[in-house]
Amino acid sequence: MSKFVKLIFAAALVAASTAAFAHAQLQDSVPPVGGTVASASQVRLHFSEGVEPSFSSISLKDSGGADVAHGKAAVDPSDNAVLIVKTNAPLAPGAYTVSWKAVSVDTHHTQGTFQFTVKP
Amino acid sequence: MSVRSYRGRLGGAASLIAILWMSPAFAHAVCGDRIFPATLGIDDPGVGDELALPTITAQPLNSSNQQEFDASFSYTKTIFPGFGLSIGDGPSWVTSNSQAEGGYGWGNISTEAKYNFLCLAEHEFMASAGVSVDWANTNINGMGNSYNTYTPVLDIGKGFGDLPTSLNVFRPLAITAEISEDIPGQYVTGGAQNPVMLNWGFTLQYSLPYYNANVAAISNDFVKHLIPLTEFTFGTPISNVPQGGYGITGTVQPGVVYMSDTWQFALEAIVPINAASGHNIGIVGELHFFFDDIFPKTLGKPIFGGAS
Repeated sequence: MSKFVKLIFAAALVAASTAAFAHAQLQDSVPPVGGTVASASQVRLHFSEGVEPSFSSISLKDSGGADVAHGKAAVDPSDNAVLIVKTNAPLAPGAYTVSWKAVSVDTHHTQGTFQFTVKP
Repeated sequence: MSVRSYRGRLGGAASLIAILWMSPAFAHAVCGDRIFPATLGIDDPGVGDELALPTITAQPLNSSNQQEFDASFSYTKTIFPGFGLSIGDGPSWVTSNSQAEGGYGWGNISTEAKYNFLCLAEHEFMASAGVSVDWANTNINGMGNSYNTYTPVLDIGKGFGDLPTSLNVFRPLAITAEISEDIPGQYVTGGAQNPVMLNWGFTLQYSLPYYNANVAAISNDFVKHLIPLTEFTFGTPISNVPQGGYGITGTVQPGVVYMSDTWQFALEAIVPINAASGHNIGIVGELHFFFDDIFPKTLGKPIFGGAS
């Protein structure tokens, strides 16, 4: 029994003390997931891990399914866990769908889709 | 992906199953927008480098009113993308009473070979198949069978993220299911018949991490990591059943998973479905480490064919 308990603690310590890189999971965003905002001219996604901008993307569609023109996705210079895409023009009132794909710095892939609304 | 000793059936080094679709690598149990958590009553549908240590179980009282406590581990190593080998074992303690003697020992070592052959990302549908073996006479103090048990197993998972956004509140739902058959390597031992068992089960899950990322933001940092779920597990002998043999047994296991980036903790009650399955309510908890996220460049990647 004592050996088993020691093994448990040793494994937990090793795991807890190791620098972790993981699947980049979406923590929060601006505009917020499912939320309503007065205006927006960019989508800002905050992940649980740093992401590689070259292999990560954000697409934006309006309520009719048409692509919204925007620039290339880039990470925040001060935080590589934040992926940003700026639209070419402020968004008109309506519902929008964001689809993102992220590749974390350790090359794990994640993806997701959510909606937000710009109120009239 | 974990080997489950508390149901007394796992195992499996075994022959490699030969169902091979071509498939990309699925580290962790990720398919499309869905991350399936590791569950306790049945296996999840993914294959990844991971360690369940410990899994602590206070079983419901058995038919002799004995209480059994188990502490087990399970380790899975990917050999190539989507294919992994697992090993599991652990000690058990059984209390004695006027009806029966108790004791301490270790169960048989169990191993499993499992292949994640399908992921339909758009539909969050994932499937894996494997074979496990419970190895005869690898126990301590007689807490295991004296013959091998071979168990082919199929695991599937389906997330409902492909529902229309008008049904947004149902998109975090997911179902996983498992079916397996325990085939004893010896049909009669000491004059007693060893039945072939059909096992099946399923889980219903509601992922708040999924809700937070795809439906609506959750402000509470603790709540947005929770996955409430209920597991259902059943087993029934289907052949070579002893005279007066038992019928269906099983458990219902409501609980919750806290899912972090590199580990998770799961806690479930164990409610027997009938007297043959036990009495009172048991409890099981498990700490689970995802090595593909903790050691992505060493222990956590496949030996062959993994990304460098």
